[in-house]
Amino acid sequence: MPARAVATTGAILELRDITVEFAGFVAIAGLTLDVHEGELRCLIGPNGAGKTTALDVICGKVKPASGKVVLGGREITRLEEHQIARHGVGRKFQVPSVFRDLTVRQNMEVALCRAPGVLGNLFRFGNSGASEQLEKLAELVGLEEAMDVAAGALSHGQTQWLEIALLLAQDARLILMDEPTAGMTAHETAKTAELFNRLKGRHTLIVVEHDMGFIKEISDIISVMHQGRLLAEGTVREIETNAEVRAAYLGSGGISGA
Amino acid sequence: MTDIFNQVFSGLSIASILLLISLGLAIIYGTVGVINLAHGEFVMLGAYAVWFLEDHFGLGLFPCIVLAFFAVGTLGWVVERLIIRRLYGRVLDTILATWGLGVILQQAIRLSAGAELRYVQMPPGLSAAVHFAGVDVSAYRLFVLALTAILLAVTYVLIFRTRFGMRLRGVVQNPEIARCFGVNTSQIYAMTFAYGAGLAGIAGALVSPLKSVSPDMGTGYVVDAFMVVVVGGVQSLLGTVASAGIIGELSGGLAYLSNDTIAKAIVFLGVVVLIRFRPQGLFALRVRRG
Amino acid sequence: MEGQHKHPIWAKLVGYAAFCVVILILPLFITDDYLLNKLARYLVFGLVAMALSISWGYAGILNLGQAVSFGLGSYCMAMALKLRTIPIQTGAEGLPDFMVWNNVKSLPWFWEPFHSYGFAIAAGVLVPTILALLIGTFVFRARVTGVYVSIITLALLVVINLVVIDRQRLTGGFNGLTDLAPLELFGLTFDPYAHATYYLIAVSLGAALFLGLAVVHSKTGLIMQAIRDDENRVRYFGYDVAAYQTFALCLSAAVAGFAGMLYTLVMAFASPTFLAVPVSLSIVIWSAVGGRASLLGSAMGAIIVTGVQGSLSDTPAFLETWTLIMGALFIIVVLFLPRGLISLVDRIPLGGSARRRAAAATGAASRSGINAG
Repeated sequence: MPARAVATTGAILELRDITVEFAGFVAIAGLTLDVHEGELRCLIGPNGAGKTTALDVICGKVKPASGKVVLGGREITRLEEHQIARHGVGRKFQVPSVFRDLTVRQNMEVALCRAPGVLGNLFRFGNSGASEQLEKLAELVGLEEAMDVAAGALSHGQTQWLEIALLLAQDARLILMDEPTAGMTAHETAKTAELFNRLKGRHTLIVVEHDMGFIKEISDIISVMHQGRLLAEGTVREIETNAEVRAAYLGSGGISGA
Repeated sequence: MTDIFNQVFSGLSIASILLLISLGLAIIYGTVGVINLAHGEFVMLGAYAVWFLEDHFGLGLFPCIVLAFFAVGTLGWVVERLIIRRLYGRVLDTILATWGLGVILQQAIRLSAGAELRYVQMPPGLSAAVHFAGVDVSAYRLFVLALTAILLAVTYVLIFRTRFGMRLRGVVQNPEIARCFGVNTSQIYAMTFAYGAGLAGIAGALVSPLKSVSPDMGTGYVVDAFMVVVVGGVQSLLGTVASAGIIGELSGGLAYLSNDTIAKAIVFLGVVVLIRFRPQGLFALRVRRG
Repeated sequence: MEGQHKHPIWAKLVGYAAFCVVILILPLFITDDYLLNKLARYLVFGLVAMALSISWGYAGILNLGQAVSFGLGSYCMAMALKLRTIPIQTGAEGLPDFMVWNNVKSLPWFWEPFHSYGFAIAAGVLVPTILALLIGTFVFRARVTGVYVSIITLALLVVINLVVIDRQRLTGGFNGLTDLAPLELFGLTFDPYAHATYYLIAVSLGAALFLGLAVVHSKTGLIMQAIRDDENRVRYFGYDVAAYQTFALCLSAAVAGFAGMLYTLVMAFASPTFLAVPVSLSIVIWSAVGGRASLLGSAMGAIIVTGVQGSLSDTPAFLETWTLIMGALFIIVVLFLPRGLISLVDRIPLGGSARRRAAAATGAASRSGINAG
């Protein structure tokens, strides 16, 4: 286990004192978080801790009432979602979202966003020489046989994998994953862990998860959120023995049962 | 002074008719989630029901109103069972299907009752003007205003004070949970659609003495009613009332300053701008977005 | 959609080409100019339905105000032709007759440039396009979607229709613009019954179909379809969704505006009924019946529906019944054939191989599971 990361300016992502309110309800109250280049950070916490909202703030879906988000030294707090995506942030949603009417190949072509302009893309046909790259990605997630199948015809597990493949096609520096193993079988979850471990280093990942088994497989550092704040940060062992974390999870069956 | 009062009353009169027509549409859209483009034709059928009953059986307007409610309501029930039921969750497709339904109803009337304009007698007791606060106002328009208020109260009680209403609100908030608690959602949808259609039937019956009755009279109504519903905010009964009031008074006022056409154009432009900035309507609470 | 498959691009191209050949050689078999004029009208409807397919079928924007573009295009052409009518039909000093009757003393400023054909033709395409650009920016930047876009476009249609009717002194009001000169261009006269007019329309439709096909098969077209499926997902890949939606609306408006100009040529007048709610809804119906997500399907939907309607119009009783049947047919299509009649063609196997391959792939994919190793 690597040593606990120290929050320095070397972070690729810095959240500074983020506050989010929904009609009077405070979802995030002064969240500060640093994530380093190439790291795989797990974000856990009891229901309603603000984990998904934190991801929403990073990718621009939700604009914070105060605080700022800095990505690779540039502030992205007030940018629109697509601008943030162009700065290298990819997002996987809790409910797998892919283009159901398009084929697996077309899904990947959309994700492969080299030039986002409307008029330029008018003169771009087929997959612009990226065919091999797409085949490789499909192979990585086991969809190489299904390239010309409509995404709507895939199974739930396959849909999850397709969305992960889309994020890889997008080639984001920072990938946000919201419960990537939801609805996966134990076998599929193990495969996902394997894949994530290979992505580490090349990409920076933030993974919101409940499955402690899965977290132990993949994570270096865990950040625990509670009531919209960062409660604790550390290795799996440190977190499991942390008294405050235990207290926060009281009533929800303990950290492993969450 | 009398001028202003006249103006306010004329606006109120427009508003009451608008509300009458929109109420059914609002209930259907707010609860069943269906944009019913055939709503105007339901109104038209209500008007034809009056004309038919009066012409063939010599019935007066009052029994006709009741009969129009049940006749159009029954039709609404059948339509929900045959068509709408298959389209839940496909909002844009309901627009198309109900438009097709509107075409059928219009054409069916044109083929059976003829394309010519029909006229309905105003009840003799209400055809006079009433002297009120220094101005003459039409007794019939006052009657429409009163009946609108009554129907509104009935609808309010139905939704907020009855068992059916409780189930209905449950279904609107969360159909799955309601189903788990043994509520027959499919039946609730059908009854709601029928009630909304029945209200359109009453609206048609009430406007029939004011305007000429024709197969295509519903086309204009549905667009107007839709604007009222959107401005008021879906799922807000009070919003629909307020919005009918605002649009009615605004139309009346603007028409006084320019003409009917320009008034309508300005009101519609206003609606467009409103939807752009508040798609949830003027009177809906801002909800947390997904 | 399980088991659904799409024909390869070459099969589509063959289908489109076959359609173009048919509409181009049709006049060889038709001696009746009146019939040819009718056919030309149906083709114009085909063009405007195809335009709707771009925004609705591909980008998921149900524009209930398509008739705005169509009508504005039609008026632009009609204004130019009105200014060229022989003096007996225009008032003193070249004023259009209705202006003289309305006591207008001099030609309004926005009529002036319509003395030029070039300006009029450019305006017929650009005025609807610029309007679509404004509406699209206004609506899509605010993330207004789905039904609300339909309501806004419908409301704007009503507004424009009311203004055109109300400003009788400038627009001809209820009567529209009548007694027009025929368009004379490149030594050809495009009067409603001329072969030249038919060919102009047929060639325009063919060209529009192929250009449209190129657009929807480009990456821009792909992203439009992705937006139709899930606009948020597209946004998080880094695309400016509003820009793509606005583009689809503009392209659709440009084609519809062009169709409107052609319609003025075959009708020899422009009327506020061209930019009214019934026309707008009819366009939606045509496209839905033919197949909203197919350019050719939408065009053929319009041609078939209006064609049947037109062939019955000589016997009013039939026409009335037909409208009734149309309504029912339409409901049936919406309920049971949401992809329109063209989806029946899509089900025809091409030698069976494509289908077998697709089926095999689905089977293999669901069996193989995940192999990340």
